[in-house]
Amino acid sequence: MKGEQKLSYYINKAASLNNQTFDKKTRIAFLGSFTLNGLAETIQVKCAEQKIQCVTYVGAYNQYNQEILNSGSDLYKFNPDITFLFIDVRAALKDLFHHPYSISQEERKQFVNTITEEILNLTKKFSDTTKSKLVLANFNTPTFSPYGIFENKTEFGFKRMLYEINSKLEDALLNSDSIYVFDFAHFVVKFGEKNVFDYKQFFFGDMQINLDYIPHLATNLMSYVIAYSGMTKKCIVLDLDNTLWGGIVGEDGFNGIKLGLEPPGNVFVEFQKILLSLHQRGIILAINSKNNYDDAIMVINEHPYMILREEHFASLKINWTDKVSNMKEIADEINIGMDSIAFFDDDPVNREYMQVNLPEVLTVNLPHDPSEFVNILQNMNEFSVLNITHEDQQRGKMYAEQRKRSELEKSVPNLENFLKQLDLKVSIKNANEFTIPRISQLTLKTNQFNLTTKRYQENDIRKLSEDKNYLVRCAQVQDKFGDNGITAVFIVKKENQKEWVIDTFLLSCRVMGREVERGILSHIVNEAKNNHVEKIRAQFLPTAKNKPIEDFLPNCGFKKDNDSWVYSVNSPFVVPDCLTVSAE
Amino acid sequence: MSKKLYELIARVMNVPADSIDDNSGPESIESWTSFKGYVLLYELESEFKVKFTIDEAIDVKKIADIKRHLENHGVIL
Repeated sequence: MKGEQKLSYYINKAASLNNQTFDKKTRIAFLGSFTLNGLAETIQVKCAEQKIQCVTYVGAYNQYNQEILNSGSDLYKFNPDITFLFIDVRAALKDLFHHPYSISQEERKQFVNTITEEILNLTKKFSDTTKSKLVLANFNTPTFSPYGIFENKTEFGFKRMLYEINSKLEDALLNSDSIYVFDFAHFVVKFGEKNVFDYKQFFFGDMQINLDYIPHLATNLMSYVIAYSGMTKKCIVLDLDNTLWGGIVGEDGFNGIKLGLEPPGNVFVEFQKILLSLHQRGIILAINSKNNYDDAIMVINEHPYMILREEHFASLKINWTDKVSNMKEIADEINIGMDSIAFFDDDPVNREYMQVNLPEVLTVNLPHDPSEFVNILQNMNEFSVLNITHEDQQRGKMYAEQRKRSELEKSVPNLENFLKQLDLKVSIKNANEFTIPRISQLTLKTNQFNLTTKRYQENDIRKLSEDKNYLVRCAQVQDKFGDNGITAVFIVKKENQKEWVIDTFLLSCRVMGREVERGILSHIVNEAKNNHVEKIRAQFLPTAKNKPIEDFLPNCGFKKDNDSWVYSVNSPFVVPDCLTVSAE
Repeated sequence: MSKKLYELIARVMNVPADSIDDNSGPESIESWTSFKGYVLLYELESEFKVKFTIDEAIDVKKIADIKRHLENHGVIL
């Protein structure tokens, strides 16, 4: 478990953050039925550690109902990006917290329905009034029951009431893309009720979370902030010796390394299993190891207890080159930014070298004892996402296919031949319930081939797609090696009958360099032509990362017009002959 | 021990250690809010391995009160 500073550290540190400015900015509101002092300051500091500038608003004590129901409240004036709402179990159950058995079982059921409905009405009013995400904490189940050990023999008893409220809230909000349930009950389980809840603090000032655990709570809540801000790490780069297995394969040999069912080999098997579970939900894995390639690849392919095999890795840098050069090559191959990478290496010298030379990479501070690796990995919030799409689940397979493409690219004499052999198919799709989550996700995550880097949440995309003045589309890219999934997005604003404006044009790094962008642009030009539009206007808004798209507009025939670029629809557009474009 | 106490209070209240004395408290230290006052007691408990009673927690009006309660718990200042 990550060591945490004392709360006073965060409170004082937050006071000195005013002079720091970062590109990423976020506004976070906290509402609660009890005292939440210290939480906002801790989140501010944790945001600054992630290079996010955070402004906070803390609602008045136990005024969450009024703040949410009054459309003109200070909460809405603050205009948050994310709002955390904590209602404690005493506030929710009122007298029934102490006297649940003063009413009948039927009445308890009725109460559960009423309280759930009240909370859901609040969340509805909230999402009708603001674009902010809402993170609603669920209810922990106090261990004390007046029925004691008979509690579990009681139909619809005290604990069951709370389970039922939690499960009803979760079910009702399951498909919401703006309201999330934070598992506070699980947080209490993780740290223990006796630790998290301190009676003296509660009596002293209605502080329902022990001050020592406010920083831990903040770390948990940061998962939402990281995911919302698009700061999620996409790739884990791993060392091999003493990281994926115990010992050094070059010295201990295939049979001498520690990897198996007995300790300490089981430590590494478990670590690999957790890594595989992350890979299966879309985290890319790669290897950066100083080793003899043949020794290491034999373990990876043939060791009976190896969980991760060659097919799970998007890149394998097993050589004697320095790890920083290897890391740069991995980032190039996978086509992701250094700040999307987390690096695991047991050797403090390698970690220091990486931290100094590539500070954007998150170098994980692994402890000396490998039995703690699993805990470190499981407690990282840097891989948090607000949504897992079909594309995410397929990513591992897609990167294996990508390796095969690279092999083909190396075997043909030039790019043109390579692209022709790929047999590329670009299918343009409309924004609909299936594609909207992915479209939003791509606008939030894509940094490199992104003309304007405008970020849109799912609700924004939904609204734009319902607006007849906008075209919101995405593109699925397939080739002979497989399906890359939805990997491009464009949003066009129909400014007037003669002119369209490209609001967003982006391509996932996964399909860059294959003329897909030209194929998509040709589709936009044709559609404009069919609608008798004369001009397409676009802007390139430079960022630190979108250099790859810098020359795209002039290369496609756009002419500079003050601070934007204009394409005359009547000029001929050359569609690349290496791909076919179709539309729904 | 007294020095350690002053340093801890100064750190929690974010003021220079030499600006406080036994008579300092919420009235003379601007940052000493009721919440900060509780944070202070909490850190004192952890630093000096004591547990204040709720009466003691409520009773603190100045640093001299903290010293008195710590001494009652056997801490030699």
